[in-house]
Amino acid sequence: MALIECRSLTKAYKRGSGTITPLHELDLDVESGDFLALMGPSGSGKTTLLNLIAGIDRPTGGELCIDGADIATLSRSRLADWRSENIGYIFQLYNLVPVLTAYENVELPLLLHRMPGRERHERVRTALRLVGIADRHDHYPRQLSGGQEQRVAIARAIVTDPRIIVADEPTGDLDAESATAIMQLLTRLNRELNKTLIMVTHDAKCAGYARRALHLEKGRLVEPGRIGSEAEQEAAA
Amino acid sequence: MRLLPFDYAVRNLGRSAARLLLSVLGSALVVVLVIAAAAFVRGMSGSLNISGSANNIILLGAGSEESVERSEVEASTPGLLEASVSGVRARAGVSYVSPQVHVMLPVQTSSQQTKERQALIRGVTPEALLVHDMVRITEGRLPRPGSDEIMLGRMVGTSLGVPESDLAVGGTIVIDGRPWKVCGRFAAPGTVMEGEVWAPLLDVMAATKRATISCVVLTIDPALTDVGEIEVFTKMRPDLELVAMTELAYYGRLAGFFGPIKVVAWVTAALIALGGLFGGLNTMYAAFASRVRELGALQSLGFRRAAIVVSLVQESLLATTVGGLLACAVAVLFLDGLAVRFSMGAFGLVVDAPVVGVGLCAGLGLGLFGALPPAVRCLRLSIPEALKSF
Ligand SMILES: Nc1ncnc2c1ncn2[C@@H]1O[C@H](COP(=O)(O)OP(=O)(O)OP(=O)(O)O)[C@@H](O)[C@H]1O
Ligand SMILES: [Mg+2]
Repeated sequence: MALIECRSLTKAYKRGSGTITPLHELDLDVESGDFLALMGPSGSGKTTLLNLIAGIDRPTGGELCIDGADIATLSRSRLADWRSENIGYIFQLYNLVPVLTAYENVELPLLLHRMPGRERHERVRTALRLVGIADRHDHYPRQLSGGQEQRVAIARAIVTDPRIIVADEPTGDLDAESATAIMQLLTRLNRELNKTLIMVTHDAKCAGYARRALHLEKGRLVEPGRIGSEAEQEAAA
Repeated sequence: MRLLPFDYAVRNLGRSAARLLLSVLGSALVVVLVIAAAAFVRGMSGSLNISGSANNIILLGAGSEESVERSEVEASTPGLLEASVSGVRARAGVSYVSPQVHVMLPVQTSSQQTKERQALIRGVTPEALLVHDMVRITEGRLPRPGSDEIMLGRMVGTSLGVPESDLAVGGTIVIDGRPWKVCGRFAAPGTVMEGEVWAPLLDVMAATKRATISCVVLTIDPALTDVGEIEVFTKMRPDLELVAMTELAYYGRLAGFFGPIKVVAWVTAALIALGGLFGGLNTMYAAFASRVRELGALQSLGFRRAAIVVSLVQESLLATTVGGLLACAVAVLFLDGLAVRFSMGAFGLVVDAPVVGVGLCAGLGLGLFGALPPAVRCLRLSIPEALKSF
């Protein structure tokens, strides 16, 4: 059984007389350890799909099973708990809390878990080291560059050790150099830590780091299949 | 439910110095005004709450029931009363009949020679101590007629706003441009009399060039007579233009007369608090609305909406509590004991624990109800919508 199973997954909004259907009876399986790039034109439903998988939005039809659990049936507060256990979300605009330091931002999701202070401290340290930003732990977001902010955001997404990491255009606001560094970091999370990654991107170069890419158009998947992985080419070179 | 760290609420206050200042000073202002209203009502009720005895009858000039200062009674009335009314209490041949003059006059003390304050001067005979048995001379003695002596109530210093050293026995104070020697101090706990200056009746009449007295207070023996008999006397002598009522009824009437003032005080305070609340709602809504995306991100991490509401309310409560404490300090330092004059004499604003409590509750209410609706409103958006907002 796949880690993520979407069956006829549908999201529709009623707008007056008509309905908008950003996601139309979508079938998708994502295996544990996969790194999936979601591509497609603006408005094709990429963010919608990502939000459903991340449990911050609810489908209006179909089934969505993650790790055997039908998350559409969870109550709002159960779903919040489920997110803190299972999902790490990386945003295009980082969404760090401006009044908290890098360290405190990374610590934030751990406050939802019962654990001794010492362990929490260790986890935050490890996550910050992993994203290569340990020396900036006491800086506030405004004192960091965009690339550094995104690293902190990645540390925040992985610190609870979730199985699934979703990223919505994680390099969308970064220059090419920072983008490459972030993509290499995400690739490491997938290869070395065996995280299941789903990433929305407009950039074919970024999609190249994924194990596979899917194209969405008007809420439906088109021509699914493997594409040449840039990371593999890099490794081969 | 796992809450956001308290620190987050504290630091959010620092996001905008202007907003912080506005919240703290705004709530301080509201709380000061609420405390002022409460202190006013409490001070007023306290002083009227005199244990006016049912056995004491007060006789006033007809039509002056609300203001003993305006009342005029023939100086011969006490003698007539003594002769015509049976059942007046007496001891060792002395009847409990106390003729009195009540007059508001400007007072100067040694440390306050420029700024004049008014005090109620009560001209009395020794019988005043018989009818007002709650009055106890705590220091010195009753003033002797013809020697320009006075006796001061315990609260005179507070209601005049002068140091106690100005009022020491043996010292002098100037009343209406004329020096008087302080020969005694008295206490009458919880009554308006504590803020008064007592002087011999004839001296006060001479000093104010009046031939009439203000009222007569007498104590009856309830076994022998009642207020009805005194009323009969006033009807039989319409030429004296008197009204009689028990002290209880008199103060009850006064309290009733001042009831609407209390209501006005409370309504004013409530309107101010309401205005403050709407100001607070606006400020907090603007503050929270600018953070909608961040609040969405916190929810995506797994924080429940209730936890976020708690944090936002904490933030607001912090600001209004600081403002409230500031207001309490100001009230205790500057409002407590502040003399308010009214036709009965003077009373001090009372800023005591219950009044401070009312103020702090107003501050907390402001913090809670000023933040709750905007917080709930800002969290009504779905998480995907919140994440899209700027
Ligand atoms: N709350 C909503 N109400 C109505 N329609 C919505 C709502 N949210 C999204 N949509 C619609 O759903 C469709 C898909 O939106 P979505 O954000 O998933 O697109 P996207 O593929 O992520 O686009 P982009 O690349 O621009 O981010 C759009 O047509 C959008 O208008
Ligand atoms: Mg999108």
